[in-house]
Parts: sequence; structure tokens; C-alpha cells
Amino acid sequence: MIEYVGIHKSFDVPVLSGVDLDVATGETLSIVGPSGTGKSVLLKTTNGLLEPDQGDVRIDGESVFASDGALERIRRKVGYVFQYAALFDSMTVYENMCTGLPDHEGRSASRDVLRKVCLALQDVNLEPALVLEKLPSELSGGMRKRVGLARAIVGRPEIMLYDEPVTGLDPVNSAAVSRLILDIRERTHVTSIIVTHDIQQALEISDRVALLEHGKLRFVGPPDAFRASDDPVVRAFADRHAAAEAALRILEANGEDRKEEL
Amino acid sequence: MRSLVHRAVLEGLAHVGRTVEGLACHAGQMWLLVSRVAMATLRGRVALRDVMAQLHSTGVESIPLVCVTAVLSGVVTSQQGNYQFTGSVPLYILGSVVVSSIVLELGPVMTAVVLIGRVGARITAELGTMKVSEQIDALHSLSRDPISVLAGPRLIAGTIAMPLLVALADCVGIFAGMISARISAGLGPESFLYGARIFWHSWDLFYSIAKGLVFGFLIPFISVHMGLEARGGAEGVGRATTSAVVFMIISVLVVDATFPPLFLG
Repeated sequence: MIEYVGIHKSFDVPVLSGVDLDVATGETLSIVGPSGTGKSVLLKTTNGLLEPDQGDVRIDGESVFASDGALERIRRKVGYVFQYAALFDSMTVYENMCTGLPDHEGRSASRDVLRKVCLALQDVNLEPALVLEKLPSELSGGMRKRVGLARAIVGRPEIMLYDEPVTGLDPVNSAAVSRLILDIRERTHVTSIIVTHDIQQALEISDRVALLEHGKLRFVGPPDAFRASDDPVVRAFADRHAAAEAALRILEANGEDRKEEL
Repeated sequence: MRSLVHRAVLEGLAHVGRTVEGLACHAGQMWLLVSRVAMATLRGRVALRDVMAQLHSTGVESIPLVCVTAVLSGVVTSQQGNYQFTGSVPLYILGSVVVSSIVLELGPVMTAVVLIGRVGARITAELGTMKVSEQIDALHSLSRDPISVLAGPRLIAGTIAMPLLVALADCVGIFAGMISARISAGLGPESFLYGARIFWHSWDLFYSIAKGLVFGFLIPFISVHMGLEARGGAEGVGRATTSAVVFMIISVLVVDATFPPLFLG
């Protein structure tokens, strides 16, 4: 169980202004909202990457910020998928994956470590033999994202945090990453929090959706309630994104036609 | 008119205040960095493998450039001395001038300049890029301490490698100066070494190595700090790298200027 209690955070201007939210064990929650409303900031407080100015984050009743020891224990439970994967440039995919394992294990270079790394890569539909020795710069954007996902799950976390997991991906890769998130959830029963701009993805893969607006939660509820909501802000957000999605699809279709013409 | 002056004074004071606040902030963060690196090292959290890798990139890979710089320093000092001494001072004094210049000044300072350009700038750009691309956050989220993994190995490697590089630069510079004296002034190695021995103090060598030790700590220390404080994408990394290089050069020259009154007085 993850509990956000009265979270306030400012960077010169207020970003989060009193967010209270509970996420049940095994639940998948998507946080949506316009840019700059503090979605990623809220996510980063979950494993102590950012400390709130006021309020607390508790995981299974333990405060993330109680002590360095508590923070380290909690970080071992949490897998974090970064917006642009955040793979270590100077390391191969194998070395990157090893950083996702506990320190002593990651440095041991045993067959067991290799097996775990290969399994995690296969879980995200990557062929280990083709990518293990490659550097992140030699991978496509979609592959980098998958390696980032594999690195987050290789240590078998209890909680997964996804920061814009489909940003920058084409629709095919975007759908593939959404399927992977669902697969991981079904196989491992992890608690997942997904920060996304993609309302469609949020509605498809989440148990609940939370809408952040001006640093406060405007809506929290199941996807069906989000779709049926008569709150004008929720409606405006959903409609705006539906229009943007439609425009994107038209642009993509035109692009495909142009390709065929050429 | 009075309100304009009043506003200008207030803006000036605000600027000074912001600058002082910024400097105090940097000083605090640098102190924190030193203490955290010391704690990580004492607790054995800095991996030997990482230190060895940094020793290779900081020390071994810098050897060619350090040697080229040392050769040129030795040659230039020898030629300058020869030009100035002609007919007025016994030529064997050239040996003393070359050895003292290289050991006391040019060896440590030129090696520091090489390391600032080759290692310091690289460290700031590397860590700055890691910072803005969330790789530092990724380390935190994977329960890895960036101080133990990134800062510690670089600081330890710099502090070990630099004195050795300075010693190498001293030897190469003196040798190059001796060869140059032979070619340009016709001063044989025996006379050159005779001149060098007249004013030689063994303390000078420790002085040179001690400078190397301090520079070897300062360069990675400043570059790591500036890299970890980088903000705002590629432009921010560029800004941090430029600031780091300027800050490192000024720091090296200030330390260099404080050494003689402290240790040669």
C-alpha cells in the first residue's frame, strides 16, 4: 500500500499543493494531467528522488523519508522506469541490467546473474543474444525503453513506477509497451503507478485514474467513472486529448500515404 | 532621477546578495561532497575496480599529452635561458634554471592544465549529461550512491595519479631541457647537471609532488561538483563545463601562488 499524505512541493512556484492519495497493493493507478501539474514530481517522491516540502509518503506503513536505511529498503522494493530510459551510456546493456540487481549480486558475474538478466530481457520481448553486448547508443528508442523496463524488473520489485512510458514512441511501440506493463502486472502482481499523457493508455491499463490539475487531485476513480464524469475539467481534458489523438492519427495516416506515393 | 538611482542601488545590492548566496551555496555543497566522499571511502563503499578504471583514464591515458607538454616546457625554458644568459652568466647555470623552473613551477602547473582540459572538462560534461538525462536519479532509484560510484573513484584516482604525472613531467621536462641545451647552446650534459646540482634542494621535489597532490584533488573535486550541479539540458551541461574549466584554472593558479610563501619562505 502506498500512501501520499498532504504532499506539498514547490520549485520557486508551487507544484503540488496538498495531494492525498492511496494506492492499494496490486493496483494499477495512472496519473494524468496537463504538463507542469506535478505528475512526475509526485512520482519521484514515491522512492525519495524528491523530498516533499510538507507531507509524507508511506509504503506499507513505513515513511520513505524516515531514515537513510528506510529509504534504501524502500528503493529495493521499487522499480522505476524513466521517461527516456536513463540507461548508463558508458555501460553495455548487460552491465546496465546488472545495476538493477542488488550490489553484491550485480558484480558477481555468475551464471545465475546472466540467467536473471536474460529472463528480464525476454520478458520485455528482447533477444538477449542480440542486445547484451550493445551500448545504449546502438539501440533504437523503443529498444532503449524496453531495456529500461527490463532493468527495473530484473530485481523483481513489488512496486513499479512508470514515468511517461510511451512518450516519444510510435503507436506500434507505444501499444507494445502498454502490453508489457499489463503482462508484468499479471505475471508479478506488482503495484503500479503510471504517469502518462496518453489518456487512452491510462484508461486501457489502469484500475483507477487520477487527474492532477494545478497541483491538486481533481479526479480519482475507475476508468469507466472517468469516461462518464460530468466534471467540466475532466471532460475538457479527455476531449482535448481525444482531439489531439485524432489529429495525430490523421497526420500519421497522411504520412503513410505520402510514403506509399514516394 | 532619485528613484532611478535608488532602484540601481537596490538592484546592485540584490545582485551582490545573489552572488554571495550562490557562493555560500556552492561552498556548502562542496563541503558536503568532500565529507560524503570521505565517509564512503572510509566505509569501503568505493569499489577498487572503479578506482582502477579511473586511474587508467585519468593517469595512464594522460601520459602522452603530459610528456609532450613537459618536453615543450623543458625546451622553451632551456632556449629562453640560453638567450638571456649569453655572455653575462656562466652557461652551466642554465641547468639550474631549467631544473628549478620545471620542478618548482612548470611541471606541476602545466600538468594541471593538461588534466583540466583532458580530465576535468570530461568529468563535468560526463556527470552533467548523466544529471540532465536522469542517470543520476536512476542510480539513486537503483539504491546506488552516486558519491560512491561516480565521485569517489574520480577523486581518489585524481589524487593518486596527479603526483605521479607531475613526477613524470619533471623528469621528462628536465631531460628535454638538457637535450635542448646541448643542441641550442652546446652545453654538455655534465655541465648541465653540474649547474643543476649547485642550487638543488631535495625539498623542491617534495614541493613539486605536494603541488601535484593538491591539484590532483582540486581538479576532479571541482569538476565532479560542477557536473552534479548541472541543470537544464545540453545548454546547461555546456555552461557547467565552461564554468568548471574557468574555476579549475583559477583555483590552480591561486593555489600555485599560495605555495611559495607557505613552503619556500
